[in-house]
Formats: sequence, C-alpha cells, structure tokens
Amino acid sequence: MILVGLAFWTLLFGLSFRVLKYFQSVEVIGDLLAHHLLGMILMVFFSLLIFSHIITALSDLYLSSDLELCHACPALLEEVFISRAIYTLTDSSWMVIVFGLPVMMAYGFVFKPGFGFYFSLLHMGLGVTLIAGGIGILITMILVRVFPAQRTRDVGMLLGVCGLGALYLMFRLLRPERLVDPDAFFSIAQYMAALQGQDSPYLPTHWMTETLWAYLSRSSEKEIFFHSSLLWSTAGALIVINVWVAEAIYFTGFSKSQEAKRRRAGKGLLDFLAALIKRPFKPELGAIIDKDLRTFFRDNTQWSQLLLLGALVVVYVYNFSVLPLDKSPIRVEFLQNEIAFLNVGLAGFVLCAVSVRFIYPAVSSEGAAFWIVQSSPMPLKRFLWTKFALYLLPMLVLGETLILLTNHFLEVTPFMMALSSVTMFLAVFGIVALGVGMGARFPNFNHQNIAQVATGFGGLMFMIVSAAFVALIVVLEAGPVYVLVMAELKGVPVAGWQWLLIALSFSAVLLIMAAAVYKPMTMGLKALSEHE
Amino acid sequence: MIKLIHLTKTYKELRAVDDLNLEVKEGALFGFLGPNGAGKTTTIKMMAGVLKPTSGSVVIDGMDLAEEPEKVKKCIGFIPDRPYLYEKLSGMEFLKFIAGLYGMNHASSLQTRIRDLLELFDLTHWRDELIESYSHGMKQRLVMCSALLPQPKVLIVDEPMVGLDPRGARLVKDIFVEESLKKTTIFMSTHSLEVAAEVCRDIAIIQAGRIIARGSSEELRKAAGVDGSLESVFLKLTEGKRIAHATPLSAS
Repeated sequence: MILVGLAFWTLLFGLSFRVLKYFQSVEVIGDLLAHHLLGMILMVFFSLLIFSHIITALSDLYLSSDLELCHACPALLEEVFISRAIYTLTDSSWMVIVFGLPVMMAYGFVFKPGFGFYFSLLHMGLGVTLIAGGIGILITMILVRVFPAQRTRDVGMLLGVCGLGALYLMFRLLRPERLVDPDAFFSIAQYMAALQGQDSPYLPTHWMTETLWAYLSRSSEKEIFFHSSLLWSTAGALIVINVWVAEAIYFTGFSKSQEAKRRRAGKGLLDFLAALIKRPFKPELGAIIDKDLRTFFRDNTQWSQLLLLGALVVVYVYNFSVLPLDKSPIRVEFLQNEIAFLNVGLAGFVLCAVSVRFIYPAVSSEGAAFWIVQSSPMPLKRFLWTKFALYLLPMLVLGETLILLTNHFLEVTPFMMALSSVTMFLAVFGIVALGVGMGARFPNFNHQNIAQVATGFGGLMFMIVSAAFVALIVVLEAGPVYVLVMAELKGVPVAGWQWLLIALSFSAVLLIMAAAVYKPMTMGLKALSEHE
Repeated sequence: MIKLIHLTKTYKELRAVDDLNLEVKEGALFGFLGPNGAGKTTTIKMMAGVLKPTSGSVVIDGMDLAEEPEKVKKCIGFIPDRPYLYEKLSGMEFLKFIAGLYGMNHASSLQTRIRDLLELFDLTHWRDELIESYSHGMKQRLVMCSALLPQPKVLIVDEPMVGLDPRGARLVKDIFVEESLKKTTIFMSTHSLEVAAEVCRDIAIIQAGRIIARGSSEELRKAAGVDGSLESVFLKLTEGKRIAHATPLSAS
C-alpha cells in the first residue's frame, strides 16, 4: 500500500512538474496559466474540504456509536463538540493534504520561491482547512437541526453527487482544452480576458492564491500581511461562531438523531423493476436479486452514484465526438481504427473503475446479515453466481454503449466495429467475475459504510488485476488487429503464417477470458466457504 | 434428531468447543446453558452451518451437515443472538426473501403463512415499514418469524430473550412449547436460568467447550448436591473445576 501511495505521489508530482515547466516555457501567457491553475486547484481543494467535512461531521458529531458515552460523560457540551470537531478536521483533511502536497511541491520546484512560500503554504493551508471545516461543520449542524441526521446524510450525499456530476459535465462541455489553443479564440484580447478571469476577492482561496503567487512570481509582497490577516481572522471568527452555534443547537440535533423514524417501503416502480428482472430466475435466485435491487435503490448514497456514472458516459462519448482527427498528419482511416481499438482498452478501464465501486462490494454488501445466506439452504456457489448474473447485464449494456457509440462517432470499418464489440462483450464476463470473485475473496462484512469497501486492500488488488486483464487483452489483440486493418485498408491479402499468429493470439485471449471468469469465482467461493 | 459427534472448534490457541458429544431427541426442548465464553454460540453456529468445525460432525435428521448441507439446512430454522437483518427491506419483503431462499413458491399458502406469523409476533402493523426503523425486540421477533416460516424440523436458538420485553418473552416461551408439542426439536442456548427451568425438560451445562452436566432440573440439582434454585445449581456446577460425569452424557 505504501509503495502504491508513493508511486501515485511521484506520478502526481511528475505530472504537475511537467505541466508547470511547459507553462513556464510559454511566452506571455505561461505565468498567467500557472497563476490561474493555482487558483483553480486551491478552489477545488477548498470545495472538496467543505463537502468532506459535511459528510464526516455527520458521522463524528451525530451518528458515531461512541457519542452516547461522550454525552453521558461529565464533560461540558463545548468540550465534547470541540474534541469531536478536531477529530472531524483531521479525519476529513488528510486526504486533500496528501493529494495537494505533490502539486504544491511541484510549484516550489519549478518556480524556486523563497522560504516565505513554504511558510505561507503551511500556515495558510491550515487556515483554509480551518475555514472549510468551520463552514462544513456549521452547515451540518444547521442541516441536522432541520432534517434527522440519517436523512441529512442521504440528502447531503445526493446533493453532493448531483453537484459533482453537474460540475463535471459543465466543466467538460466548456471545453477547457481551448485555453491552451489560442487559435480557438477570435482575438488575443478575448483569450487574455478568458485567462485573467479573476475569482472573488472574498474567497479564502483567493487570499491564499495571491499570497503564494506573490512569492512564486517574486512580485510585490505588500498584500501578503493583509491576506494572511484576513484568512486567520476569518478562521478565528468561524471557530467562535461554530462554538456559539453548537451551544445553541448541537445537542438538540444530536438528541433528534437518536430518535428512530418510521419509514415505509416504497411501492410501484421498484416492485415492477424487481419483478421484471427476477422473472427469468428460479425463486431462490430471484430472492437474492430482488433483495439486492431493493437495498440498492433505497440507499440514496448508492443509487445516486448512477448519476455520476451517467455524466461519465456522456462526457466519454462527447470526447470522441470532438476529436480533431482531421488536424492529424496520420491517415484518417488508420487513425479512426487505431483509436477505436485502443478505445476497447480505455472503455475496459472505465468498466474496471465502475466495477470497483458497484460489483466488488456486492458480496460485502450483505454486511452483518450474511448469516442469513450462510444458514440458508442456498449453496454459496449459487449465491455467488447470482451476484454475477445480476451485474452482468448492466455491465454489458454499459460496455457496449461505450464501444458502439464511440465507434459510431469514429466511423470505423465494419471489421473494427465487430471486433471491438465482441472483445468488449467477452471482456465484461471477465471483469464482472473478477469483481464478484475478488469481492468474495476479500469480504468485509463489518463495514460501517459500503463505500469504504472499495477503498480497502482488496479493492486495490481488484483494480490492479482487472486493469492488467484488460491491458493483456489489448496487447494480445494489437498484432492481429494491425495486420488485419492494414490488409483491409491497403487491399492486400494476409499471409498464411500471419493467419496462424492471429489464430494463436485470439485463442490466447479466449483462454485468458475463460480463466478470468473461472479462477476468481472459485477463489472467492473457497474463501467464502471458509469465512468465519 | 440432533447428534453432535466429537465436535471441536479451535481458534488458534483457544479450544472453544472441545470434543463435544450430544444427542437430542425429536420434539425435545433442549436448554443449553453455560457461562460467558463457554462455547455455546460457537456450538450453535456450527450447528446452523455458519461456522465450519475443526473436527467432528453435526448430524441432523440423520444427515451429516458437512456432506448434505442444503438438505440439512432445509430442516433448520436458526435464530442468532443478534438480529442483523437487511435494514432496507420491509418486514414483509424480508419474509418473502426468506421464503425465496428456502424455495417456497406457493404464493397463496405463503401469503397466509406470512400473515399468520406476523400476527402471531405482533408485527402486522409494521410489515411495510423498513427494518431500519424497527426496535431491537421487533427485529428479534422478525427473525423468529423467518425461522419458523419454512416450518423447520429443528429450531436452533441462541439467546432468544435478549431485547424482548416481558410480553414478548412470554410469547416466545409459549411458541417454543407449542412447537415442541408439534414435534419440532428446539435447541436453545440461554443465559436465563428461569427460562431454562420453566420450559426445558432437558438441560446441558457447557463449560470451557465441554458438557459438564446434563439432565432435567431435578437431576442437575442432585448432581450438584444443591437443594435450591437452578441458579444455585448452575453456580455450583460452574464454580471453577469441571465436574466429571455428573450425569451420563449419552442420549437422555
């Protein structure tokens, strides 16, 4: 895990370093781009911090099981609140700091600022985190005062996911790649205006950006003290406001969150959907499918992620529709087919990422209720294959949608259309089996939140193995595809020995796909049978 | 109906269940007593097929659990000590899910059976509510409904009275006695000596993974040489050292 973390850290640093070096080499607008990027990065981190604090504060201040003990202790309410708020602050900030540090270090390496930059980064980073935490905790306290804590988490997650999806779509559809392509603008003035679009001077990220940039660009430092003072006075004020508000409404909200709410099972669409999907299956398999569907669609934190998935598909397909193939010096027909083939790998990686979130946790989603399946007459083998069957169809639809739509935009040859869709069709079996099987191999039935399951060791292993599986298929098919496409485009016949190599490659692909289905499922079954 | 043969479960250094031999007849209401950590829950989990024994076997209705797990589990209803359920299902949906797992697909008779059980356990008004809004006692009663739904020959119960109010506890005791009269074999572990004394005609006391005494309340009193309540018998028998052969350990 440490090695993977270090590798990711190095990658992020290397990427940021390259981008900044490139910006530095661009005359006139290079510095503007670096300045703009710094502001955007800090803004994104700030937004993520606020959102992360809202979600974490709900658990730490309202839903955590040890809170009853904390409130029963002879401690002042402020003491309980402050200790839990500090816990929330550290709990929800470390990830952003870990991801942010390599980017900021890249700025330091490229621009070589003085000691002031690092000092400001440290103290202003802390100040911005305190402000984000203060805002996040304050929002949480107000939300819980209005809704019960359990519902607030659902509402918060739903809003967050919708917001993130909308932001993602909006950002992509604005075509930010045009910023590095001045040709796309009518005039230099218009382009410069787009770059210099300032953020609000009332935002804490603006104060931090301007201070850091003053050191990075070695420009006037007259406003550094002013911005630092603004930042720390805001952070201090927010701490005081949070304690005041906590004294007024925290305990009432906590008390309310302990009350059980009656919630009726929704009827209608879900009943229809469950009946439709389970129809082809036997009653015991249908029972598992019915239960999984209801559980999934009644958990707002689960189904809402489908919205993100929808946004991902739209952006994915959109990217292919705006590819500037005509600007490439390579022959268009060749490029179209080459991209279509590589797209099998790319779509495969997308499916792996989707699977780690939805399929890998499928077995663990049984949670502490897994004893029901264990003590029932349903064999675990059938249970696992039912999970496989449940996820196979939606993944096939997703995989084929990505392939067929992008192929349509690329206007590929019928051969490439057939090859890529068949490859994806078969690869989905392997990816789904890897997800279900490895999920059973590394089950976590004691999770508090199903989203945590995907981020554990098993989830990481699944990502590595499934990505390697997709990469291996692409590598094995690359040679034969090149030979066949070139033969078709140039109108020359394929030699006998080439047919032999093609047959061998495709046979190896089929074998790997079969192994990817069989092996993880048997490994998962064995682990699950021995699970105690 | 139930035979435990040299049943052993070891966790690293700890021998939780140690060469346990036990036989329970059809229709018996068997009480399984013991102090905390004696091996009650481990034994019960092995009988329900939730835990794999280190050695030995569980035979139910003449079938070995390890060899024919599906057939054996069809005969068993299991009620664990903690009612972990699928919180996002309603009570009604949960019972239908259980019916599905047991391959019960006679729609009309199933509906009637579910309705009767919900009525019996006083859950009719809550049948369409999500389980996440149930209290602990209600969840426990729902688990009992689900265990009785497939009309099992053997009911394996771990601490049935935890979380139940006095009315619920009375109801459960009556149902167990009634089921036992209908020839359902009930294997029940409990901390509650009153419950054991009141409803169980056959009681075994387990300590450190081994049966140290077995018989009716009267026989246990004699074995312990105590002329008081079952509580004093229990305390005497489990006070530290193992009482070998307090009663014959073969089938009663």
